[in-house]
Amino acid sequence: MAFFEQDIHDAPTTFLSKYVFSFDHKVIAKQFLWYGIAFLGIGGMMAILIRWTLAFPGEAFPILGPLLFPGNNGVVPPDTYAMLFTLHGTIMIFYAITPILIGAFGNYCIPLMIGARDMVFPTLNMLSFWLAVLSAILLLASLFTPLGGAAGGWTSYPTLSTLIGSAGVGQTLWCLALFVLGVSSTMGAVNYIATIITLRAPGMGYFDMPLTIWGLWLTAILNAIFLPVLGAGLLLLTFDRVFGTTFFLAGAAATSGSGDPVLFQHVFWIFGHPEVYILILPAWGIVSDLLSFFARKPAFGAKGTALAMTSITILSTLVYGHHMYSTQMSPLLTQSFMMLTMTISIPSAVFFANWLGTIWKGSIRFDTPMLFSLGVVFVFGLGGLTGLYLATVTTDLYLHDTYFVVGHFHYTMAASVLLGGFAGTYFWFPKMYGRMMNERLGKIHFWISMVGLNGIFMGMMVIGHAGMHRRIYNPFVYEFLKDLVPLNMFITISALTMGVGQLFFVYNFIHSMYKGPIATQNPWEVGTLEWTIPSPAPHYNFKDIPVVRCGPHEFGNPNLVGKDFQYQTEELVKA
Amino acid sequence: MNLLLNLFMKHFVTSADAASTVGFWESMKPPIDISTNGHLIDSLFMLTTWLILFFFFFVCLGIFGFSYLYSKKKHPKPLYTHGTSRKHISIVAGIGALVFIMVDMQITTISNRDFINVFLNYPKESEDIVRVQVLGQQWAWNFRYAGKDGIFNTEDDVVTLNDLRLPINKKVIFQITSKDVIHSLYFPNARLKVDAMPGRISRMWYELTKTGLYDIACAEMCGTYHYRMQAKLTVYDQTEYDAWLNEMQERAEFTTEKDKADLYWGWKWLADAETK
Repeated sequence: MAFFEQDIHDAPTTFLSKYVFSFDHKVIAKQFLWYGIAFLGIGGMMAILIRWTLAFPGEAFPILGPLLFPGNNGVVPPDTYAMLFTLHGTIMIFYAITPILIGAFGNYCIPLMIGARDMVFPTLNMLSFWLAVLSAILLLASLFTPLGGAAGGWTSYPTLSTLIGSAGVGQTLWCLALFVLGVSSTMGAVNYIATIITLRAPGMGYFDMPLTIWGLWLTAILNAIFLPVLGAGLLLLTFDRVFGTTFFLAGAAATSGSGDPVLFQHVFWIFGHPEVYILILPAWGIVSDLLSFFARKPAFGAKGTALAMTSITILSTLVYGHHMYSTQMSPLLTQSFMMLTMTISIPSAVFFANWLGTIWKGSIRFDTPMLFSLGVVFVFGLGGLTGLYLATVTTDLYLHDTYFVVGHFHYTMAASVLLGGFAGTYFWFPKMYGRMMNERLGKIHFWISMVGLNGIFMGMMVIGHAGMHRRIYNPFVYEFLKDLVPLNMFITISALTMGVGQLFFVYNFIHSMYKGPIATQNPWEVGTLEWTIPSPAPHYNFKDIPVVRCGPHEFGNPNLVGKDFQYQTEELVKA
Repeated sequence: MNLLLNLFMKHFVTSADAASTVGFWESMKPPIDISTNGHLIDSLFMLTTWLILFFFFFVCLGIFGFSYLYSKKKHPKPLYTHGTSRKHISIVAGIGALVFIMVDMQITTISNRDFINVFLNYPKESEDIVRVQVLGQQWAWNFRYAGKDGIFNTEDDVVTLNDLRLPINKKVIFQITSKDVIHSLYFPNARLKVDAMPGRISRMWYELTKTGLYDIACAEMCGTYHYRMQAKLTVYDQTEYDAWLNEMQERAEFTTEKDKADLYWGWKWLADAETK
């Protein structure tokens, strides 16, 4: 299938060419991984500050509070609170989850799992990372401008995000940072698509690709189509802020001419809804593969899973209107969007059935990556099903912009994606660093995360159903929310637990990099192409480009002798 | 840790005094429903919950049951199947169809019916209704009732700040816009919200069934003091309401500063056809 074969280059020798400005997809993947983990820490810290404020309004944040907010006795001030939840959302979505799931796993897995020596455009790949760094600098710089960073919510609806609602350079820098990040991700996406199409090893048809690659491929396609839409919207918003245009200003807010603030919502959600699937598709792919790998059983209906993911990808572009029910679109549009949104549950049900079919009558090994994968099935079950309330227009009239929405999208975008990311990290760590991560610490990390996550997000859905709306600094100024103090404290304590649990991961990750037991070539006994080469992978990946002769999930074939799996390079054993 | 414990204790002790009448389960309930149609939303919520629990039960049964039955120790020889037989494909497709028919079609039908027949079925202009114009601004709600002349945006209008008073058992229709950024008029007790957007007039209607004092909030992020954009809804019975409105209308004739342009933020009441 391969269109061409890349040459083997000499190994880079200087520090700069090896670790900093590297063309090697594996190094770029690790750079993205570190970048993402660092921002995960920052975004997580912001989440803790937000939760603290909601549970203990008016109390100083311990230790850090007096250092960060000396003017306010260590209490988070309301304007900072708005900035915190804005940047928490922005950072977690664009600077933590995207780099880890797409930047790191995309770069690492695609060439290795399709049997290529590198990405098809290595320079573009390097540029993609360094543009992401530039974008991070822009975003962090916005924190040090006179009026602070962006504070209009991660959706940054005009007219709040225009000069009417937020003066200062912070919001402009936010727009530019996301624009640059959009360029970076589009570069990555184009690269992924081209690589998967042109560099698959000979013999590898599309349905012989591991499902991880399917997920990453569909993600890349969505990214390449929809990030430019966000870019356009942000550019227009920047024009409104800097050059005095009125694309998104209307009514009394516009001094001359007149645009429409709702236009931005359309532009934003045309991108924003696929974005949810951009984040979750790689996690679905990883989970679909890992469930099969650790259940020692071929992925149940792998073709069906791939097609279900494809149909979700297509549907995801047609349903964005369910984010805008409260803007009173035409009833015809509202009903169409409700119906289209509902149809997503068919492909979702298909791959849930396939996931459970995969572990049915398997021989399950409960290693850490498997625990995290099962965790994804659990939390995504909750996250996906609770989406029904929000797709339904009448229940959404009540639940829109409440904590129910926050709980729901954290279940899908945060909990599932994060657990999927952890599953991938524990799974590919041996191939990345040549050492194993500690199983016991990994399991502790899993259980603390599971308890924490569910405490937080289930709690959020409960308080949301009780009426608590989003993005409020102190809910208890409202009479109808007064009874929610204990529940809010419960959520905050779950969040602190979750935060502490991540320390096990950080310690495990860094310690195992240097001190972990040396990994064998194929510690998990899996047959995909990356496990046919030594750990850690050499810089050229494959000395000879492998020839693919069977699918990625060949486990438990009764005709096999001596082992229970087959490498993709081996001919399928028949009776 | 000590610090945390102290805070926790302190809050529980104080909140125990304030909320001693409210149990843990009680506190999870949505606020009391004071509208004629809020129960439609609540009952659809409950229906969806039961349907979801039904399917999630099977997901859990799969995850935990299979994990228990088919661990490496208990079940060393996995079944070799790709799930591509006709039987397997029909089971998977059947599950997909079942979810669609049992959940999606049900709630979509109910929701559509309620949405079109109730929530979008605005009372006719000829009916005896209460009309209120609402203007959101950073960070307050302005309400406007027509004066004695029955015409909006004239000098005898009753204009209130963060203070909405309505009669019981009468249809109320709002026309809503915003002066600066997007807000969202949120009545937790009526289970309704609608965005207030600059340059557009959005509508909402409901009918209230219980007198008392309730909260109105802004649900859309609108700046630093978004959380303080709180108004109060007072529900009167008809005679109390008439007395209040009468007094306010009379007072408006004397107290309105007629030359102040800011005061005329209202608009001519839009008839049904104009808002569609």
